[in-house]
Amino acid sequence: MDLKSLTIKQIQELLFSKKITATQIVNFYLNRISEIDPKIKAFITITDKVALKQAEILDAKIKKGESVGKLAGAVMAVKDIFLTKDIQTTSSSQVLNGYIPQYSSTIYQKLIDQDAIIIGKTNTDPFAFGGSTENSGYFTTKNPWNLSKVPGGSSGGSAAAVAADLCQFALGTDTGGSIRQPASMCGVSGLKTTYGLNSRFGITAMASSFDCPGVFAKNIEDLALVTQITAGLDEKDATTVDLSVPDYSKLLESVDLKGLKIGLPKEYFSDPINPEVKEKVMTAAKEFEKRGAILVDISLPSTNLGIAVYYVLVPSEISANMARYDGIRFGQNTTDNKDITSYYMNTRGKYMEAEVKRRIIIGTYALSSGYYDAYYTKASKVRTLIKKEFTEALKNVDIILAPVSPTTAWDIGAKSNDPLQMYLSDAFTVCVNVAGIPSVALPCAFDSQKLPIDFQLIGNFFEESKILSVAHQYQQFTSFHKEEPKL
Amino acid sequence: MKITPIIGLEVHVELKTKSKMFCSCDAEHFHVDPNTHTCPTCLGLPGALPVPNKTACEWCIKLGLALGCTPNESSFFERKNYFYPDLAKGYQLTQYEKPFVINGKIKIGDQEIRINRAHMEEDTGKSVHIIKNNEELTLIDYNRCGVPLVEIVSEPDLTSAQMAKDYLLKIQQIIRYLGISDADIEKGSMRCEPTINLKIEDGDQTFYTPLAEIKNVASLTGVLNAVDYEINRQTEEFQKTKETKSKTNKTTRGWDAQKNQTFLQREKEGSSDYRYFPEPDIPHIEFTKAEIEAIRATISELPDEKIARYKTDFGLSDYDANLIAQDIQLAQVFEHVIEIFKNKEDIKLFVNLFNGEFRNEDINIDKIKPENCLKIVTAQNESLLSSTSAKIVFTESYRTGEDPIEIAKKQGLIQVSDSSQIEKIAKEVIDNNPKAVQDYLKNPNSVGFLVGQLMKASNGSANPQLAKEILEKLLK
Repeated sequence: MDLKSLTIKQIQELLFSKKITATQIVNFYLNRISEIDPKIKAFITITDKVALKQAEILDAKIKKGESVGKLAGAVMAVKDIFLTKDIQTTSSSQVLNGYIPQYSSTIYQKLIDQDAIIIGKTNTDPFAFGGSTENSGYFTTKNPWNLSKVPGGSSGGSAAAVAADLCQFALGTDTGGSIRQPASMCGVSGLKTTYGLNSRFGITAMASSFDCPGVFAKNIEDLALVTQITAGLDEKDATTVDLSVPDYSKLLESVDLKGLKIGLPKEYFSDPINPEVKEKVMTAAKEFEKRGAILVDISLPSTNLGIAVYYVLVPSEISANMARYDGIRFGQNTTDNKDITSYYMNTRGKYMEAEVKRRIIIGTYALSSGYYDAYYTKASKVRTLIKKEFTEALKNVDIILAPVSPTTAWDIGAKSNDPLQMYLSDAFTVCVNVAGIPSVALPCAFDSQKLPIDFQLIGNFFEESKILSVAHQYQQFTSFHKEEPKL
Repeated sequence: MKITPIIGLEVHVELKTKSKMFCSCDAEHFHVDPNTHTCPTCLGLPGALPVPNKTACEWCIKLGLALGCTPNESSFFERKNYFYPDLAKGYQLTQYEKPFVINGKIKIGDQEIRINRAHMEEDTGKSVHIIKNNEELTLIDYNRCGVPLVEIVSEPDLTSAQMAKDYLLKIQQIIRYLGISDADIEKGSMRCEPTINLKIEDGDQTFYTPLAEIKNVASLTGVLNAVDYEINRQTEEFQKTKETKSKTNKTTRGWDAQKNQTFLQREKEGSSDYRYFPEPDIPHIEFTKAEIEAIRATISELPDEKIARYKTDFGLSDYDANLIAQDIQLAQVFEHVIEIFKNKEDIKLFVNLFNGEFRNEDINIDKIKPENCLKIVTAQNESLLSSTSAKIVFTESYRTGEDPIEIAKKQGLIQVSDSSQIEKIAKEVIDNNPKAVQDYLKNPNSVGFLVGQLMKASNGSANPQLAKEILEKLLK
């Protein structure tokens, strides 16, 4: 049976009506991966044995009529920065080559507990430092729509895997746009949740006060289904918030588009945006207007400071978060070092990728005595300002609509020698992370090269159900999310 | 030339909470197999996160309140960055900008020592250096990694080694009263790092010598000796070099207890940069006024209050009250016993027993029997036991649990207060000691010798007061 293009819901209908087995589902995806992934290189590790074992257990349960989890039969790809017990976790860095964790990340475990099946671990920039997967310590993932283009990043492997239909949904993390930007470049849906909704426990940390784990899927319905499972308080993550998780799936139709005030921040429709992207995103906005929504021009004046704030605070946190990768308790290490200092220097020097070192150096500098106030303290103040601008704006409008990425996917290698250009591609995503609010990215167009374009819907703290509802309704009257690359 | 030492103390205390500071691992690390009390968080594994131990935070505030500190309304943790193999994460979680409590003071005699702050942090693992197959190896035990530590920082108000020692003893006493740590210096659950320099006044000129922080002081005597050594060293050093304190010449010195001297460990302490910044994994911690008051309410009577009460309620001397209150466990035993006592006089008599040689016993609240103590004191009041015998009987009855009167009878310690019996012995003593009798007649103050002889003849059982009176009567 051809399972191609099926959503989680559709595949579960087949599974529960016993038209297919979980083993058949897994084999379908394993076959697709062996056929297509050599071209795309979305995966670092393919967990065929684990997946088949999970499927076997699930099939046995179904056969016996036992109850099964809410994600039974859903096949997932997991960004390789999520720790998976007994399964290699590299964070796409050579530092962790061969590292087999003794424990699993909370979110991954929650999904496994609901009978989701892991098909593999996906490529990313090392420790999620980057926006194209080109910094990966292993290889660059290709964009399924055009193999000479980047898939975006850092969660490029996960976005590409969903776009190429190598899984049904995928886990990613969004620290400065790392879910939304690759979602846009690969033409899939992706949700960056409110900081504190999804647990970070067991995910290698990039910038602890920014990192937001989240999901990629083929449509909003599936995003809601999976987020329902991942969200909520985790006693092992002190920054998760204790609230009752709304039933996202049930609330998908809850927002009335009639009279809905949609804010269009002018700063997001100006430089450095590509005119074609601007036009297509405006078209998406007009679709809402046609259905009764009110478009409101708004301003978020500190937007242009977002990148600066981000690239002070994030590397600062990174510089400390990366200290544990010393080769002593886990990971690769060098031998024949003359003392402990050379042990550290040789190990970190040899196995950390250039972008990892770059960010450690920037962060160490920013935190150094004499510079701390000028960089860290000041950036923290602007962070508060950016957050305030969003919450003020969201008093006057219900939701904010904006482009995700200033451009569509670029050629592999085009920006890899210019880190600043690479950083600027986050211009429209970072502020949401700086503020900690939720945003969902979803496809709305293709450019003249047939490269996908997403737009994002931004809501206030913990308004996931609202942005998902508006996004879902958009997918009811458009079909961009159903388009697939020819592979 | 006038020399005044300026001494500040940093005291680290390991809290005896059940679990570690930021994970649920067992916090016990003495005599535990290496690396058995560990988890992803205290091992600093990828992706692991810290969750603060609420009890430890409350205990830190409790200690602060007992030291007269003010709690900060909002407090947070910071990362202190440095590399060392036993520091799993490559940074230590501590408090720098906003410690839980600030600005306290304690009294040492009539001197007030200001406390700058008490803050919460985590302990590191332990590096063990061994030689195996002719190879030098460093092994790391992470059992201690993440054990809650409170750091108490004094202002530089101490001016002598003895005062530093007294300060430490006072802090230790308060901590033990609060029951939040064993505060055992020898075991390392209380650690102390003195920072010392000298104020030297020479004519109308005043100099300050460079600061030296002393590490690895592992006993109270060590503190005393190390501070004294350092005062002398800095005095000599100043006379040689005339070097004075600057922003960059603070040094770290180790204490070698065997050689009884400090030695240079690190120079230019002022230049190290720990790049503190707020720990993003833990939200700010706020305790409401009501919560603070609830913590304050859990503080039982502190040493100074206890001593004052002993003095007013029982009429104890300063010396006796201090001796009992010194150790909370001892005070608890004392209070347990005197619960059944009816009057001050009995309590005072008991204190004489309690503060005597009995202190050498292994004193245990479950072992002591208040009714036996009362019996001894009553027997003393009834002149059945002399104060000397009472002490012997008290110790013996504590050790064996036997009835004290039975013990006294068995050992012939019951005091004879029968005048006719004593008179009989007195006559014998007078007959046998003509020389002493002659002396007495010349000098009545020498009666002591004859009383002594009488006591001896009665095997110590005669009531000495009665014996004296009878002797004086017979020799009139």
